[in-house]
Amino acid sequence: MEQQEIFEKLSMAIIEGDENKAKAFAHEVLRSKIDPLEAVEQGLSKGMIFLGDRFEKGEIFLPDLLIAGDAFNSAIDVLKPAMEALKKNIAKVGTVLIGTVNGDVHGIGKNIVGIVLEANGFEVVDIGVDKPSLKFVEEAEKVKADVIGLSSLMTTTMTAQKEVIDILKEMNLRKKYWIVIGGGPVTQEWADQIGADGYAGSAFQAVHLIKRLLGQKKIGA
Amino acid sequence: MLSFLDVYERAIKGPIMSEKDFDMKVFIPRLRNVVNAYGIQYNRETPVPSDDRAADHLYKAAVDFLSQVGIYCQNTNRIIQFTQEEILEAVRKAPGKCFAGEGKEAGIFGMRKPDEQKAPWFHVGSGIVTTSEEMATNKIEGYASIAEVNSISIPALDSIRGIPVLAGSPAELYAAIRGIKIGREALRRAGRPGLPIMNLISTAAAAVTTIAASAPQFGLRITDGWLCGAISEMKIDFGTMNKVAYLLNWGANIGAETSPILGGYCGGPAGTAVVSTAYILMGLLVQKGNYQLHFPIHFKYGCCTTRDILWTVSVSCQAASRNIPMPVIWLGYTAAGPNTKMYFYEAAAYLLCAVASGAPSVQTPHPAKAVKMDGFTPMECKFGVETAKAATQASRQQANEKVIRLLEKYESQIEAPPSGSRYQDCYDVVSGKPGEAYVRLYDEVKEELARMGIPFSSKG
Repeated sequence: MEQQEIFEKLSMAIIEGDENKAKAFAHEVLRSKIDPLEAVEQGLSKGMIFLGDRFEKGEIFLPDLLIAGDAFNSAIDVLKPAMEALKKNIAKVGTVLIGTVNGDVHGIGKNIVGIVLEANGFEVVDIGVDKPSLKFVEEAEKVKADVIGLSSLMTTTMTAQKEVIDILKEMNLRKKYWIVIGGGPVTQEWADQIGADGYAGSAFQAVHLIKRLLGQKKIGA
Repeated sequence: MLSFLDVYERAIKGPIMSEKDFDMKVFIPRLRNVVNAYGIQYNRETPVPSDDRAADHLYKAAVDFLSQVGIYCQNTNRIIQFTQEEILEAVRKAPGKCFAGEGKEAGIFGMRKPDEQKAPWFHVGSGIVTTSEEMATNKIEGYASIAEVNSISIPALDSIRGIPVLAGSPAELYAAIRGIKIGREALRRAGRPGLPIMNLISTAAAAVTTIAASAPQFGLRITDGWLCGAISEMKIDFGTMNKVAYLLNWGANIGAETSPILGGYCGGPAGTAVVSTAYILMGLLVQKGNYQLHFPIHFKYGCCTTRDILWTVSVSCQAASRNIPMPVIWLGYTAAGPNTKMYFYEAAAYLLCAVASGAPSVQTPHPAKAVKMDGFTPMECKFGVETAKAATQASRQQANEKVIRLLEKYESQIEAPPSGSRYQDCYDVVSGKPGEAYVRLYDEVKEELARMGIPFSSKG
C-alpha cells in the first residue's frame, strides 16, 4: 500500500470511528516503515479535523466525536513506541487546565470543552467540579499550564471565577496564565469586568479563543 | 413503591464505576442501542408531530433506557438501578397532581393531554439575576398582577449589602433569606400573598443554604415549591439528595429539575428525546417530585427554540403527558433578549409547541438564554400567559403549521440573535411600568401573530 493511501485509510478509520481499522492501519504504518509522526499528522489528525468541522456545523454530535477519539487513541497506542524510539513527540498546541469553580457541581459543559480541546491537539488537565479557587492555582503551577479555564453554570458561583483571578493577582502569578471563562450565565461583559482574558460561549469558541491567545505573547510572562 | 431511603441505599450499594466510564461505556452506547432498537427518528419537517402511537413508543423506549442505564451518584460513584417493573409501578402510583399556594391562591396543578383545550398551569417569572432589590420587588409585583397566573419564580440576588454572593457562603444565606422576604413582600403588594413561589431557592446554589433558608420563620410554606436538580446527564449528587430528604420529611413540594442537552452526550434529537422522557421518570423515582421543571436545551446555541429542540420538546412532552402522571412545567430559553421581535417569535413557537403537545404547565420563556443580568421583565410574562392561553385552541397539527411559519421568521438569526434590553432600559424602575416603546412593540407583534392565526383572547 502506498504511503498516501495508508494516510487516507487512517483518516477514514477515524471518521468512521472504527477502532479496529485505526489499529490495523497503524500497524501498516510500522510495517511500511513510514514516519509515525507523519502518519499522525497526515492521517489521524486530518480525520479528527474533518470531524471537528462537522461537529462545529452541528452535522454530528459529541458521541461521534468521542468514538472517533477512542479510535484515534488506539492508533496512537500502536504508533507510540516507534515515535518514542525515534524521539519524536506529537506537538501539543498547549496545556489547558480546566475545572468547575467552587460551589458548582456542573461538569458536562466543561467536559465537552475538554474533549473538543483534546481533539484539537491540546493537552487538557481536568481537575473536576466544585474545586476551591486556590486549587486551580496550585494545579496550574504543578502542570505548568498555559491556560486556566474556569467553568461556572450558576449565577451564584460565577463570583468564584473572579476569586481565582484575584488569588492569581495576589500571588503575582496573573501574568503567567491566560484565563478563559465559560458556562451558562457567563458573558463577555462578565469576563471584562473580572479581568479574564476571554470568554467562550461554546466549545468551538473555546478552541478558537485559546488558539488566538496562545498566538499572542503574554506581557510580562 | 420505592421510598427515598431505598433510592439512597442503592446509591451506596449499586454497581461502582468511574463517572467517565458511566458516560462512555453505559450512557452513550446504551442510548444508541435504544434509539436504534426503537427506531426513534427526527423529522425536521414536522417540529410538532401528531402521532400518539409514536409518543407511546418513545415512552416505552425511555422506560427501557432508564432500566438499562440507571442514575449515577457522583458522591458514591455508584449507579442507582431500577427494574422496568419498579419504573412502571412508580408511574402507576404517581398522583399526577401537585397542591400549591395558600388561601384564595391555592390550586391543583394537574395533567393535560396533547390537543386538550384545558388551560395549562400558568407559571411565570424567572430566577435570572436582578441587581437591585427595588427592581426585584417591582418585577415580582408585575408577575403577580397578571390575573391568570398560578405560580411564580422569583429572581436571584447577586449581592447582599454590596457583598458578592458566593455559593455556600454566609453571604449566600443572607441573600437567600432576603430574596424570600422580597418575594413575599412583593406578592403582598400585588394583593396575592398566597401565590406559590416554585423556584426555591433561586439565590441558593448550595444545599445547605437551601435547607437553612427554608426554615418556616423566613417565610416559606410547604405549598411553595423547591427545585431539586439532576446533573446532566442522568446523574445526581448528595446535595440534591439532601434537599429531597429534608423536603420529604417536611412534606413540602419538591420540583424535580432536569435538563437534557441536545448535542452533548445525548447526541442528536432522537437520543435527546429518549433522555428527555426518561428524565420525567427520574423525577418520579429519584427526586420524588410533586412537580417537575424540565428544559431540554441546545448545546451549541444555549436555547430551546431551534427546530430540533422544538421537535424534542414536542415528542417527549407528548410521550410524558400521555403516559407519566407528573405535572411538568416546560421551560424554554430563547436566543433573543427582551424587547425584540425575535424574542416574541421564539417564545410563541415554544409555547405553541409545548401547549399543543400536552404540557401540564409552561413557564415564561427566558430571554437571551437566561444569561443577561436584569434581562427579564413582566412583559414577557404577560405574553407567555396570553400566548399559552391562545395555544390551547390549536391542535398539534395547527401548532405545527404555525411553528414552521415562526421558524421562518427567526431560524436564520439563532446564531447571532439581538441581545435586547435590560429591565431598567425598557421599564420605569420607580413605577414598575413598561416604557411606551416596549408597549408599542408588544402590540405590533401581537397583531402580527393574530394575523397568523394565533387566537389571542380579545380580553388579553
